[in-house]
Amino acid sequence: MNLDYGNASSLHSYGQIAKNELIKARTKIATLIGVAPLSLILTSSGSESNNTVVRTFENCPIFVSAIEHPSVLKPAETYGSPCVKIPVSQEGIIDLVFLKAKLEETIRKTPKTKILVSVMLANNEVGTIEPIKKIAALIKELRTKHRTKIYFHTDATQAVGKISVDVKTLGVDYLTFTGHKLGAPVGVAALYSRLGAPLKPLILGGAQESHRRAGTSNVLLACAFAKACELAKKNLEKYQKVEILRDYLKEGIKQKIKSQIVITPKNSLPNLLCVSFPASEGESTQLYLDLAGFEVSTGSACASGDLEPSHVLMAMFHDAEIAHGSVRFSLGPKTTKKEIDLLLENLPPIIEKIQDLSTLNKENPNVRK
Amino acid sequence: MSENNANPFAYTEIVKDHFLNPRNFIMGDEKEWQSDGEGIVGNPVCGDQMLVKIRVKNGKIEDIGWKTYGCASAIASTSALSELAKGQTLEDADKITAKEICDFLGGLPEHKFHCSVLGHQALHKAIQNYLEKTS
Repeated sequence: MNLDYGNASSLHSYGQIAKNELIKARTKIATLIGVAPLSLILTSSGSESNNTVVRTFENCPIFVSAIEHPSVLKPAETYGSPCVKIPVSQEGIIDLVFLKAKLEETIRKTPKTKILVSVMLANNEVGTIEPIKKIAALIKELRTKHRTKIYFHTDATQAVGKISVDVKTLGVDYLTFTGHKLGAPVGVAALYSRLGAPLKPLILGGAQESHRRAGTSNVLLACAFAKACELAKKNLEKYQKVEILRDYLKEGIKQKIKSQIVITPKNSLPNLLCVSFPASEGESTQLYLDLAGFEVSTGSACASGDLEPSHVLMAMFHDAEIAHGSVRFSLGPKTTKKEIDLLLENLPPIIEKIQDLSTLNKENPNVRK
Repeated sequence: MSENNANPFAYTEIVKDHFLNPRNFIMGDEKEWQSDGEGIVGNPVCGDQMLVKIRVKNGKIEDIGWKTYGCASAIASTSALSELAKGQTLEDADKITAKEICDFLGGLPEHKFHCSVLGHQALHKAIQNYLEKTS
Protein backbone atom coordinates (compact mmCIF):
# COMPACT_ATOMS: atom_id res chain seq x y z
CA MET A 1 0.00 0.00 0.00
CA ASN A 2 0.97 3.64 -0.30
CA LEU A 3 2.68 4.55 2.96
CA ASP A 4 1.72 8.23 2.52
CA TYR A 5 -1.79 7.49 3.66
CA GLY A 6 -4.16 9.74 5.52
CA ASN A 7 -6.90 9.42 8.09
CA ALA A 8 -9.42 6.87 6.78
CA SER A 9 -12.25 9.07 8.08
CA SER A 10 -11.17 12.05 5.94
CA LEU A 11 -12.64 12.94 2.58
CA HIS A 12 -9.43 14.11 0.95
CA SER A 13 -7.65 11.77 -1.43
CA TYR A 14 -5.09 10.47 1.03
CA GLY A 15 -7.96 9.72 3.39
CA GLN A 16 -9.81 7.88 0.64
CA ILE A 17 -6.73 5.78 -0.19
CA ALA A 18 -6.57 4.77 3.46
CA LYS A 19 -10.30 4.06 3.54
CA ASN A 20 -10.04 1.77 0.54
CA GLU A 21 -7.08 -0.08 2.04
CA LEU A 22 -9.07 -0.53 5.24
CA ILE A 23 -12.05 -1.95 3.34
CA LYS A 24 -9.79 -4.40 1.50
CA ALA A 25 -8.07 -5.42 4.74
CA ARG A 26 -11.36 -5.93 6.59
CA THR A 27 -12.65 -8.12 3.76
CA LYS A 28 -9.57 -10.34 3.89
CA ILE A 29 -9.73 -10.68 7.68
CA ALA A 30 -13.47 -11.48 7.54
CA THR A 31 -12.89 -14.11 4.85
CA LEU A 32 -10.65 -16.15 7.14
CA ILE A 33 -13.56 -16.90 9.50
CA GLY A 34 -16.30 -16.77 6.83
CA VAL A 35 -18.22 -13.64 7.89
CA ALA A 36 -19.43 -10.43 6.25
CA PRO A 37 -16.86 -7.60 6.51
CA LEU A 38 -19.34 -5.29 8.22
CA SER A 39 -19.85 -7.72 11.08
CA LEU A 40 -16.16 -7.44 11.95
CA ILE A 41 -14.83 -4.82 14.38
CA LEU A 42 -11.13 -4.13 14.45
CA THR A 43 -9.70 -3.67 17.96
CA SER A 44 -6.31 -3.34 19.60
CA SER A 45 -6.13 -6.78 21.21
CA GLY A 46 -7.96 -10.00 21.97
CA SER A 47 -8.40 -8.65 25.50
CA GLU A 48 -10.21 -5.59 24.14
CA SER A 49 -12.47 -7.76 21.96
CA ASN A 50 -13.32 -9.99 24.93
CA ASN A 51 -13.92 -7.04 27.25
CA THR A 52 -16.20 -5.37 24.70
CA VAL A 53 -18.50 -8.39 24.48
CA VAL A 54 -18.56 -9.14 28.20
CA ARG A 55 -19.17 -5.53 29.23
CA THR A 56 -22.13 -5.35 26.83
CA PHE A 57 -23.79 -7.71 29.32
CA GLU A 58 -23.04 -5.63 32.42
CA ASN A 59 -25.50 -6.50 35.23
CA CYS A 60 -26.75 -9.56 33.32
CA PRO A 61 -26.04 -13.23 34.12
CA ILE A 62 -22.75 -14.19 32.47
CA PHE A 63 -21.75 -17.85 32.11
CA VAL A 64 -18.10 -18.62 31.46
CA SER A 65 -16.02 -21.78 31.51
CA ALA A 66 -13.68 -22.03 34.50
CA ILE A 67 -10.71 -22.19 32.13
CA GLU A 68 -11.28 -18.98 30.13
CA HIS A 69 -8.47 -16.54 29.48
CA PRO A 70 -8.24 -13.82 32.18
CA SER A 71 -9.50 -11.26 29.64
CA VAL A 72 -12.88 -13.06 29.74
CA LEU A 73 -12.80 -14.23 33.37
CA LYS A 74 -11.95 -10.90 35.00
CA PRO A 75 -14.60 -8.77 33.21
CA ALA A 76 -17.16 -11.57 33.72
CA GLU A 77 -16.41 -11.61 37.46
CA THR A 78 -16.57 -7.80 37.56
CA TYR A 79 -19.69 -7.15 35.45
CA GLY A 80 -21.70 -10.40 35.56
CA SER A 81 -24.70 -10.46 37.84
CA PRO A 82 -24.06 -13.17 38.70
CA CYS A 83 -20.96 -14.62 37.05
CA VAL A 84 -21.42 -18.39 36.79
CA LYS A 85 -18.35 -20.52 36.19
CA ILE A 86 -18.94 -23.74 34.30
CA PRO A 87 -16.80 -26.60 35.63
CA VAL A 88 -14.67 -28.72 33.33
CA SER A 89 -13.64 -32.39 33.20
CA GLN A 90 -10.05 -33.58 33.61
CA GLU A 91 -9.80 -33.23 29.84
CA GLY A 92 -10.80 -29.58 30.18
CA ILE A 93 -14.19 -30.03 28.50
CA ILE A 94 -17.06 -28.01 29.91
CA ASP A 95 -19.92 -29.70 31.73
CA LEU A 96 -22.86 -29.31 29.33
CA VAL A 97 -25.33 -30.81 31.80
CA PHE A 98 -24.34 -28.23 34.42
CA LEU A 99 -24.58 -25.44 31.84
CA LYS A 100 -28.05 -26.48 30.70
CA ALA A 101 -29.39 -26.84 34.26
CA LYS A 102 -27.98 -23.47 35.38
CA LEU A 103 -29.25 -21.69 32.26
CA GLU A 104 -32.75 -23.11 32.73
CA GLU A 105 -32.70 -22.11 36.40
CA THR A 106 -31.67 -18.56 35.47
CA ILE A 107 -34.34 -18.30 32.76
CA ARG A 108 -36.97 -19.55 35.23
CA LYS A 109 -35.99 -16.97 37.84
CA THR A 110 -35.44 -14.00 35.52
CA PRO A 111 -37.14 -14.75 32.20
CA LYS A 112 -36.66 -11.32 30.68
CA THR A 113 -32.99 -10.79 31.32
CA LYS A 114 -30.33 -10.96 28.63
CA ILE A 115 -27.75 -13.73 29.18
CA LEU A 116 -24.22 -14.19 27.86
CA VAL A 117 -22.43 -17.52 27.56
CA SER A 118 -18.72 -17.32 26.79
CA VAL A 119 -16.69 -20.47 26.16
CA MET A 120 -13.33 -20.48 24.42
CA LEU A 121 -12.93 -22.44 21.20
CA ALA A 122 -9.62 -23.91 22.33
CA ASN A 123 -7.71 -23.50 25.56
CA ASN A 124 -4.37 -21.72 25.48
CA GLU A 125 -2.65 -23.78 28.19
CA VAL A 126 -3.70 -27.34 27.48
CA GLY A 127 -5.09 -27.14 23.91
CA THR A 128 -8.51 -28.69 24.64
CA ILE A 129 -11.07 -27.95 21.91
CA GLU A 130 -14.47 -27.16 23.43
CA PRO A 131 -17.75 -28.50 21.97
CA ILE A 132 -18.80 -25.11 20.57
CA LYS A 133 -21.36 -26.49 18.09
CA LYS A 134 -23.09 -28.44 20.87
CA ILE A 135 -23.23 -25.35 23.11
CA ALA A 136 -24.60 -23.28 20.21
CA ALA A 137 -27.28 -25.92 19.62
CA LEU A 138 -28.21 -25.89 23.32
CA ILE A 139 -28.47 -22.09 23.29
CA LYS A 140 -30.60 -22.15 20.16
CA GLU A 141 -32.89 -24.71 21.77
CA LEU A 142 -33.31 -22.61 24.94
CA ARG A 143 -33.77 -19.43 22.90
CA THR A 144 -36.62 -20.97 20.92
CA LYS A 145 -38.20 -22.78 23.86
CA HIS A 146 -38.19 -19.87 26.31
CA ARG A 147 -37.98 -16.92 23.91
CA THR A 148 -35.01 -15.69 25.92
CA LYS A 149 -32.25 -13.43 24.76
CA ILE A 150 -29.24 -15.69 25.25
CA TYR A 151 -26.09 -14.85 23.33
CA PHE A 152 -22.99 -16.92 22.76
CA HIS A 153 -19.40 -15.69 22.53
CA THR A 154 -16.30 -17.73 21.81
CA ASP A 155 -12.73 -16.62 22.29
CA ALA A 156 -11.02 -18.22 19.31
CA THR A 157 -7.67 -16.51 19.85
CA GLN A 158 -5.73 -19.77 20.15
CA ALA A 159 -7.68 -21.67 17.53
CA VAL A 160 -7.73 -19.38 14.48
CA GLY A 161 -4.81 -20.23 12.22
CA LYS A 162 -4.25 -23.62 13.88
CA ILE A 163 -7.56 -25.28 12.96
CA SER A 164 -10.28 -24.35 10.49
CA VAL A 165 -12.68 -21.84 12.07
CA ASP A 166 -15.95 -21.01 10.33
CA VAL A 167 -18.43 -18.84 12.20
CA LYS A 168 -21.49 -20.14 10.35
CA THR A 169 -20.69 -23.76 11.20
CA LEU A 170 -19.97 -22.87 14.82
CA GLY A 171 -23.20 -20.93 15.31
CA VAL A 172 -21.84 -18.25 17.65
CA ASP A 173 -22.97 -14.62 18.01
CA TYR A 174 -19.54 -13.23 18.81
CA LEU A 175 -16.00 -14.44 18.13
CA THR A 176 -12.64 -13.02 19.18
CA PHE A 177 -9.34 -13.54 17.39
CA THR A 178 -6.08 -11.67 17.23
CA GLY A 179 -3.39 -10.74 14.74
CA HIS A 180 -0.21 -11.59 16.60
CA LYS A 181 -1.16 -15.27 16.91
CA LEU A 182 -1.11 -15.35 13.10
CA GLY A 183 2.15 -13.52 12.70
CA ALA A 184 0.91 -9.91 12.48
CA PRO A 185 2.46 -7.37 14.85
CA VAL A 186 0.99 -7.06 18.35
CA GLY A 187 -1.67 -4.35 18.55
CA VAL A 188 -4.44 -5.48 16.24
CA ALA A 189 -7.31 -7.94 16.74
CA ALA A 190 -10.87 -8.52 15.63
CA LEU A 191 -14.28 -9.09 17.08
CA TYR A 192 -17.00 -10.70 15.03
CA SER A 193 -20.38 -9.45 16.23
CA ARG A 194 -23.41 -10.93 14.47
CA LEU A 195 -25.47 -8.11 12.96
CA GLY A 196 -28.50 -7.81 15.24
CA ALA A 197 -26.71 -9.00 18.39
CA PRO A 198 -26.29 -6.27 21.02
CA LEU A 199 -22.91 -4.57 21.32
CA LYS A 200 -21.94 -1.62 23.51
CA PRO A 201 -18.74 0.13 22.47
CA LEU A 202 -16.03 -0.07 25.08
CA ILE A 203 -14.37 3.07 23.73
CA LEU A 204 -16.74 5.96 23.07
CA GLY A 205 -15.98 8.81 20.71
CA GLY A 206 -15.89 8.94 16.91
CA ALA A 207 -17.96 6.97 14.44
CA GLN A 208 -15.22 4.51 13.41
CA GLU A 209 -16.01 0.82 13.09
CA SER A 210 -19.68 1.70 12.42
CA HIS A 211 -20.02 3.39 15.81
CA ARG A 212 -18.87 0.25 17.62
CA ARG A 213 -15.28 1.23 18.46
CA ALA A 214 -14.01 4.81 18.49
CA GLY A 215 -10.43 5.77 17.66
CA THR A 216 -8.61 6.67 14.44
CA SER A 217 -8.42 3.54 12.29
CA ASN A 218 -5.01 1.93 12.37
CA VAL A 219 -4.82 1.17 8.65
CA LEU A 220 -1.23 -0.04 8.67
CA LEU A 221 -1.89 -2.67 11.35
CA ALA A 222 -5.16 -3.67 9.65
CA CYS A 223 -3.21 -4.34 6.44
CA ALA A 224 -0.61 -6.39 8.32
CA PHE A 225 -3.42 -8.37 9.99
CA ALA A 226 -5.05 -8.95 6.57
CA LYS A 227 -1.79 -10.27 5.13
CA ALA A 228 -1.34 -12.54 8.14
CA CYS A 229 -4.90 -13.88 7.62
CA GLU A 230 -4.16 -14.68 3.97
CA LEU A 231 -1.01 -16.54 4.96
CA ALA A 232 -2.79 -18.31 7.82
CA LYS A 233 -5.28 -19.79 5.40
CA LYS A 234 -2.44 -21.14 3.27
CA ASN A 235 -0.54 -22.41 6.34
CA LEU A 236 -3.45 -24.32 7.82
CA GLU A 237 -2.55 -27.62 6.18
CA LYS A 238 0.98 -27.36 7.59
CA TYR A 239 -0.54 -27.94 11.03
CA GLN A 240 -1.28 -31.55 10.07
CA LYS A 241 2.48 -32.05 10.03
CA VAL A 242 2.78 -30.14 13.30
CA GLU A 243 0.24 -32.50 14.87
CA ILE A 244 2.23 -35.55 13.77
CA LEU A 245 5.37 -34.07 15.40
CA ARG A 246 3.40 -33.14 18.54
CA ASP A 247 2.16 -36.74 18.85
CA TYR A 248 5.70 -37.98 18.27
CA LEU A 249 6.88 -35.78 21.16
CA LYS A 250 4.03 -37.05 23.35
CA GLU A 251 4.85 -40.71 22.69
CA GLY A 252 8.56 -40.02 23.18
CA ILE A 253 7.97 -38.45 26.59
CA LYS A 254 5.69 -41.31 27.63
CA GLN A 255 8.30 -43.81 26.61
CA LYS A 256 11.37 -42.12 28.07
CA ILE A 257 10.04 -40.62 31.30
CA LYS A 258 8.35 -42.96 33.74
CA SER A 259 6.59 -40.46 35.96
CA GLN A 260 4.62 -38.01 33.86
CA ILE A 261 1.00 -37.04 33.34
CA VAL A 262 0.05 -36.10 29.78
CA ILE A 263 -2.58 -33.39 30.21
CA THR A 264 -3.44 -32.40 26.63
CA PRO A 265 -6.39 -34.54 25.52
CA LYS A 266 -6.86 -36.24 22.16
CA ASN A 267 -9.23 -33.62 20.75
CA SER A 268 -6.89 -30.65 20.99
CA LEU A 269 -5.04 -27.99 19.04
CA PRO A 270 -2.35 -29.60 16.85
CA ASN A 271 0.52 -27.48 18.19
CA LEU A 272 0.28 -27.82 21.98
CA LEU A 273 1.39 -30.44 24.44
CA CYS A 274 0.97 -29.96 28.17
CA VAL A 275 2.63 -32.50 30.46
CA SER A 276 3.05 -32.50 34.24
CA PHE A 277 6.17 -34.03 35.76
CA PRO A 278 5.51 -35.00 39.39
CA ALA A 279 8.07 -33.74 41.94
CA SER A 280 9.71 -31.60 39.24
CA GLU A 281 8.65 -28.02 39.83
CA GLY A 282 7.75 -26.27 36.55
CA GLU A 283 9.91 -23.17 36.83
CA SER A 284 12.97 -25.32 37.46
CA THR A 285 12.14 -27.49 34.45
CA GLN A 286 11.55 -24.35 32.39
CA LEU A 287 14.92 -22.84 33.31
CA TYR A 288 16.91 -26.04 32.77
CA LEU A 289 15.25 -26.42 29.36
CA ASP A 290 15.89 -22.77 28.53
CA LEU A 291 19.59 -23.23 29.18
CA ALA A 292 19.52 -26.29 26.92
CA GLY A 293 17.97 -24.11 24.19
CA PHE A 294 14.27 -24.99 24.54
CA GLU A 295 11.69 -22.37 25.48
CA VAL A 296 8.62 -23.74 27.23
CA SER A 297 6.06 -22.33 29.64
CA THR A 298 4.64 -23.60 32.92
CA GLY A 299 1.50 -23.37 35.03
CA SER A 300 3.52 -23.41 38.23
CA ALA A 301 2.81 -20.74 40.81
CA CYS A 302 6.52 -19.97 41.08
CA ALA A 303 6.68 -18.79 37.50
CA SER A 304 3.60 -16.58 37.64
CA GLY A 305 3.58 -12.97 38.65
CA ASP A 306 0.86 -13.49 41.26
CA LEU A 307 2.38 -16.72 42.64
CA GLU A 308 -0.86 -18.60 41.98
CA PRO A 309 -0.87 -21.94 40.13
CA SER A 310 -2.61 -22.06 36.75
CA HIS A 311 -6.39 -21.63 37.16
CA VAL A 312 -6.84 -23.89 34.12
CA LEU A 313 -5.00 -26.85 35.62
CA MET A 314 -6.59 -26.23 39.03
CA ALA A 315 -10.07 -26.32 37.43
CA MET A 316 -9.19 -29.57 35.64
CA PHE A 317 -7.45 -31.46 38.46
CA HIS A 318 -8.01 -29.54 41.74
CA ASP A 319 -4.42 -30.46 42.58
CA ALA A 320 -1.75 -27.78 42.97
CA GLU A 321 1.06 -30.32 42.58
CA ILE A 322 -0.07 -31.13 39.02
CA ALA A 323 -0.15 -27.43 38.17
CA HIS A 324 3.27 -26.78 39.72
CA GLY A 325 4.80 -29.62 37.73
CA SER A 326 3.26 -28.65 34.40
CA VAL A 327 5.17 -27.73 31.27
CA ARG A 328 3.67 -26.58 27.97
CA PHE A 329 5.47 -27.33 24.73
CA SER A 330 4.39 -25.24 21.73
CA LEU A 331 5.30 -26.34 18.23
CA GLY A 332 5.04 -24.44 14.96
CA PRO A 333 5.22 -25.14 11.23
CA LYS A 334 8.97 -24.57 11.40
CA THR A 335 9.59 -27.14 14.16
CA THR A 336 11.60 -30.09 12.86
CA LYS A 337 11.80 -33.75 13.86
CA LYS A 338 15.47 -33.19 14.60
CA GLU A 339 14.58 -30.54 17.18
CA ILE A 340 12.05 -32.87 18.81
CA ASP A 341 14.64 -35.65 18.93
CA LEU A 342 17.08 -33.26 20.58
CA LEU A 343 14.43 -32.29 23.11
CA LEU A 344 13.68 -35.95 23.82
CA GLU A 345 17.39 -36.46 24.49
CA ASN A 346 17.70 -33.45 26.80
CA LEU A 347 14.47 -33.71 28.75
CA PRO A 348 14.78 -37.06 30.64
CA PRO A 349 18.05 -36.27 32.48
CA ILE A 350 16.72 -32.80 33.39
CA ILE A 351 13.53 -34.22 34.90
CA GLU A 352 15.52 -36.93 36.65
CA LYS A 353 17.89 -34.40 38.20
CA ILE A 354 15.11 -32.13 39.46
CA GLN A 355 13.19 -35.13 40.78
CA ASP A 356 16.33 -36.30 42.59
CA LEU A 357 16.77 -32.86 44.20
CA SER A 358 13.13 -32.86 45.28
CA THR A 359 11.71 -33.69 48.70
CA LEU A 360 8.67 -35.18 46.96
CA ASN A 361 8.06 -38.70 45.75
CA LYS A 362 7.82 -38.78 41.97
CA GLU A 363 5.55 -41.84 42.05
CA ASN A 364 3.14 -40.04 44.35
CA PRO A 365 3.97 -36.35 44.67
CA ASN A 366 1.38 -35.82 47.37
CA VAL A 367 3.51 -37.72 49.86
CA ARG A 368 7.11 -37.31 50.92
CA LYS A 369 9.82 -39.66 49.75
CA MET B 1 1.04 -20.66 30.94
CA SER B 2 -1.93 -18.79 32.29
CA GLU B 3 0.63 -17.28 30.19
CA ASN B 4 3.04 -17.79 33.08
CA ASN B 5 6.23 -16.86 31.28
CA ALA B 6 8.63 -15.67 33.94
CA ASN B 7 11.72 -14.02 32.60
CA PRO B 8 14.10 -17.00 32.97
CA PHE B 9 17.14 -15.09 34.00
CA ALA B 10 15.75 -12.53 36.21
CA TYR B 11 18.30 -14.36 38.40
CA THR B 12 21.94 -13.49 39.05
CA GLU B 13 24.86 -15.56 37.74
CA ILE B 14 25.47 -16.86 41.29
CA VAL B 15 21.84 -18.04 41.54
CA LYS B 16 22.20 -19.68 38.14
CA ASP B 17 25.39 -21.42 39.27
CA HIS B 18 23.84 -22.76 42.49
CA PHE B 19 20.70 -23.79 40.60
CA LEU B 20 22.62 -25.73 37.96
CA ASN B 21 25.34 -27.06 40.26
CA PRO B 22 23.71 -27.32 43.67
CA ARG B 23 26.20 -27.82 46.54
CA ASN B 24 25.85 -30.42 49.30
CA PHE B 25 22.53 -31.85 48.15
CA ILE B 26 21.68 -35.43 48.99
CA MET B 27 21.85 -37.61 45.91
CA GLY B 28 19.46 -40.54 45.85
CA ASP B 29 17.61 -41.77 48.92
CA GLU B 30 17.80 -39.19 51.70
CA LYS B 31 17.05 -41.87 54.32
CA GLU B 32 20.42 -43.41 53.67
CA TRP B 33 22.13 -40.13 54.51
CA GLN B 34 22.97 -40.65 58.21
CA SER B 35 22.43 -37.52 60.27
CA ASP B 36 22.24 -36.21 63.84
CA GLY B 37 19.30 -33.91 63.20
CA GLU B 38 16.84 -33.02 60.45
CA GLY B 39 14.23 -30.37 59.74
CA ILE B 40 11.65 -29.79 57.03
CA VAL B 41 9.69 -26.65 56.12
CA GLY B 42 7.35 -25.47 53.37
CA ASN B 43 4.41 -27.04 51.68
CA PRO B 44 4.28 -28.67 48.25
CA VAL B 45 0.82 -27.14 47.71
CA CYS B 46 2.51 -23.72 47.74
CA GLY B 47 5.24 -25.07 45.49
CA ASP B 48 8.22 -25.11 47.87
CA GLN B 49 9.55 -27.60 50.40
CA MET B 50 13.00 -27.96 51.96
CA LEU B 51 14.59 -30.74 53.98
CA VAL B 52 17.88 -30.09 55.77
CA LYS B 53 19.96 -32.76 57.54
CA ILE B 54 23.06 -32.14 59.65
CA ARG B 55 25.97 -34.11 61.04
CA VAL B 56 27.37 -32.53 64.21
CA LYS B 57 30.85 -32.92 65.70
CA ASN B 58 32.22 -30.93 68.64
CA GLY B 59 29.34 -28.45 68.48
CA LYS B 60 30.00 -27.70 64.80
CA ILE B 61 28.14 -28.61 61.62
CA GLU B 62 30.55 -31.12 60.17
CA ASP B 63 28.36 -31.90 57.20
CA ILE B 64 25.04 -30.76 55.81
CA GLY B 65 22.76 -32.33 53.22
CA TRP B 66 19.45 -31.21 51.74
CA LYS B 67 16.65 -31.77 49.28
CA THR B 68 14.41 -29.06 47.85
CA TYR B 69 11.22 -29.14 45.86
CA GLY B 70 10.69 -25.77 44.23
CA CYS B 71 11.82 -23.12 41.81
CA ALA B 72 15.32 -21.99 40.92
CA SER B 73 15.32 -19.50 43.76
CA ALA B 74 14.35 -22.21 46.27
CA ILE B 75 17.03 -24.63 45.03
CA ALA B 76 19.77 -21.99 44.87
CA SER B 77 18.94 -20.54 48.28
CA THR B 78 19.09 -23.94 50.02
CA SER B 79 22.38 -24.60 48.25
CA ALA B 80 23.68 -21.21 49.43
CA LEU B 81 22.54 -21.90 52.99
CA SER B 82 24.42 -25.19 53.01
CA GLU B 83 27.59 -23.39 52.03
CA LEU B 84 27.07 -20.73 54.68
CA ALA B 85 26.35 -23.24 57.46
CA LYS B 86 29.00 -25.87 56.80
CA GLY B 87 31.75 -25.76 59.43
CA GLN B 88 29.93 -23.25 61.60
CA THR B 89 29.11 -23.76 65.28
CA LEU B 90 25.46 -24.64 65.88
CA GLU B 91 24.99 -21.26 67.51
CA ASP B 92 26.35 -19.30 64.54
CA ALA B 93 24.60 -21.47 61.97
CA ASP B 94 21.31 -20.92 63.73
CA LYS B 95 21.75 -17.16 63.29
CA ILE B 96 21.89 -17.28 59.46
CA THR B 97 19.11 -15.07 58.09
CA ALA B 98 17.18 -15.02 54.82
CA LYS B 99 18.88 -11.73 54.00
CA GLU B 100 22.34 -13.26 54.35
CA ILE B 101 21.34 -16.07 51.98
CA CYS B 102 19.95 -13.51 49.55
CA ASP B 103 23.10 -11.37 49.75
CA PHE B 104 25.31 -14.44 49.27
CA LEU B 105 23.45 -15.07 46.00
CA GLY B 106 23.84 -11.48 44.81
CA GLY B 107 20.15 -10.76 45.31
CA LEU B 108 16.83 -12.41 44.41
CA PRO B 109 13.70 -11.04 42.72
CA GLU B 110 11.55 -9.31 45.35
CA HIS B 111 8.51 -11.59 44.96
CA LYS B 112 10.68 -14.69 45.33
CA PHE B 113 12.39 -13.65 48.53
CA HIS B 114 9.50 -14.31 50.93
CA CYS B 115 8.29 -17.62 49.54
CA SER B 116 11.43 -19.40 48.49
CA VAL B 117 14.14 -18.53 51.01
CA LEU B 118 13.20 -21.07 53.66
CA GLY B 119 16.35 -23.15 54.06
CA HIS B 120 17.48 -21.35 57.23
CA GLN B 121 14.15 -22.28 58.85
CA ALA B 122 14.72 -25.92 57.96
CA LEU B 123 18.22 -25.67 59.40
CA HIS B 124 16.81 -24.15 62.59
CA LYS B 125 14.47 -27.13 62.90
CA ALA B 126 17.35 -29.55 62.25
CA ILE B 127 19.41 -27.91 65.02
CA GLN B 128 16.42 -28.08 67.39
CA ASN B 129 15.95 -31.72 66.46
CA TYR B 130 19.63 -32.43 67.23
CA LEU B 131 19.45 -30.60 70.58
CA GLU B 132 16.29 -32.48 71.56
CA LYS B 133 17.90 -35.79 70.71
CA THR B 134 21.09 -35.07 72.66
CA SER B 135 19.66 -33.36 75.74
